[in-house]
Amino acid sequence: MRTRARSWAAAAILAALAALAPGCGDGAPSAPPAGGDGRPLRILSLTPNVTEILFAMGLGDKVVARSTYCSYPPEVQALPAVGDTLQLNLQEVIRLEPTVAFLITRRDEVPRRLQGLGVRAVPLQSDRMGQMVQSIRTIGRETGREAAADALIQRIGADLDAVARRLQGLPRARVLFAFPMTVGSSRIMVAGRGTFVDELLSVAGAENAYPETADWPTVGPQQVVALAPEVVIINATGDDAPPDRIQVIRRAWDGLPAVPAVASGRVHVLTESYLTIPGPRVGLAARRLAETIHPDMPPEGPARTEGGP
Amino acid sequence: MKVRPFTSRGYVISIIVGLVVWAVVAAVAVGVGGRLWAWGSAVQVRNVLALRLEWVMTASVVGSGLALAGLAFQALLRNPLAEPYILGVSGGAGLAFILGSLWVSIAWSPVFGFLGALATVAIVYAISQRRGRLEPYTLLLTGVIINAFYAAAIMLVTALAKPEQRGDIALWMMGNIGAFGPQWTLVVVVGALAVGVAALFAMLAKGFNLVAVGEDTAGALGVDVGRLRIVTFVAASLVTGASVALAGPIGFVGLICPHLLRMVLGPDHRRLVPAALFFGATFLVLADLAACLWEGATNRALPVGVLTAMCGGPFFIYLLRTRWRRSAQLQ
Repeated sequence: MRTRARSWAAAAILAALAALAPGCGDGAPSAPPAGGDGRPLRILSLTPNVTEILFAMGLGDKVVARSTYCSYPPEVQALPAVGDTLQLNLQEVIRLEPTVAFLITRRDEVPRRLQGLGVRAVPLQSDRMGQMVQSIRTIGRETGREAAADALIQRIGADLDAVARRLQGLPRARVLFAFPMTVGSSRIMVAGRGTFVDELLSVAGAENAYPETADWPTVGPQQVVALAPEVVIINATGDDAPPDRIQVIRRAWDGLPAVPAVASGRVHVLTESYLTIPGPRVGLAARRLAETIHPDMPPEGPARTEGGP
Repeated sequence: MKVRPFTSRGYVISIIVGLVVWAVVAAVAVGVGGRLWAWGSAVQVRNVLALRLEWVMTASVVGSGLALAGLAFQALLRNPLAEPYILGVSGGAGLAFILGSLWVSIAWSPVFGFLGALATVAIVYAISQRRGRLEPYTLLLTGVIINAFYAAAIMLVTALAKPEQRGDIALWMMGNIGAFGPQWTLVVVVGALAVGVAALFAMLAKGFNLVAVGEDTAGALGVDVGRLRIVTFVAASLVTGASVALAGPIGFVGLICPHLLRMVLGPDHRRLVPAALFFGATFLVLADLAACLWEGATNRALPVGVLTAMCGGPFFIYLLRTRWRRSAQLQ
């Protein structure tokens, strides 16, 4: 009764999301936003999903700098990029004078260095859905926009709930979620149990075919055959997204007919980058995954869903 | 060869001249690299000043350490192409540093860097010496092979490391005057080491000069060549390991600096040792300034180790075509 256990897990995620969002805020800016010390709020966002969260909370006009990898929503590309948590252009950071920096890194030198420059560095986490929600709350608290944070959490919960409701009564499929193999290698990175994508899969009516708790392990063709997924989802983004690259990826998978997903033609290459971004578009990601895994699922009801492409 | 008399007054003068040249270049690097005139507020100027000062001092102590190590290796191995990076000493320090930081503790990794450097010197020396005499060709080839081996080992470690650690390792291996890291403490330690090693080498300078003429001659004139070698190798490994721990394996500084100095000052190590201390610092500060100006112009960081290797490669070939022939004829 493993399948049943997984649907309980999905229910638990939704319940946790609901519990974390007490009361529905109107999302309107409460007070003139200010940093803790009275300076006007100027935000440095060093992580793509945090940038998305900030814009979804209506804080886009307070963001003064972004990481090199932040690209959504499109208007962030007009903002100056200051590198990433590995290589940060500190002179550029000094020039832009942010008052607060949101970042996700395991290197504590980065927040320490930013603090030294008078920037309030707020480390966040988003490896799990619950951590993402916690991060949204933290951002709300740090920017004085608690109501907007609650509203966003509520919306995300509703989006995920809408997907889960459409899947009621459908069997859960065993799904392997992978990134394309790099050129010259037959090994692929797959979502292990306990990752944020694993949680998304369980919302999307799937059971992760990778059985162990692991953070994006690498597996070879033999292991893929042994895992015997019914559905394979390849997330080909960026350089892997052009049609000729997708052709190469498909051909590589056609060489593994022993995998049930290959035999039944259920290897899907999805090019949306938001599938692995723990941000405001997780509902969209869950819907995209669900519709790919369950092409027979009932059409969307009147329930509202939000999010860009 | 004309040998000018060299006295303690000579030391004092060369130290003062070196210090002034370095200080001027460092001040220019702080000012120009930080574009100090372009800032709006005093807070910004103070922040940039602090950052630039830290990076210029990092570049200075690393450059000094590597130039001194290169000078000592060239003297003791009687090989104009010897250099910590080419001999694999930097690679050994790098590998040990990475292993130490991944699996032991980041605080102790400089010690691992030193042990890696020392072990590499011992291995290279043991392989390339024959009955106490060093074969120049074997020495360089050993360095090449050791480097290839370390490169493979570092790739293995990278493959086994967690995905999020890979970027760190790759970036560190390029040789960086870094934006982060446990800076000032290590800068002070490496700086003290460089100055200490320079003082030691200044005392050994006469021995270096005699060994350069010939090990037998040096022995006959009362130099304990075996002891000189051990002391020098340990000191050079120490300062190389510490430099690598601070900035990653930055290549060719130990090759370029001593040779440029020899072209100007001649072969006397009593002049070369203090000059290497200051010129190594000046050279890497200039290289870091170039990398900084590049970043300012393109908003893309340029690891300073990449820059020095780009300049060092052609310089190595130049030396191979000129000096190497001359010294090979001497053997």
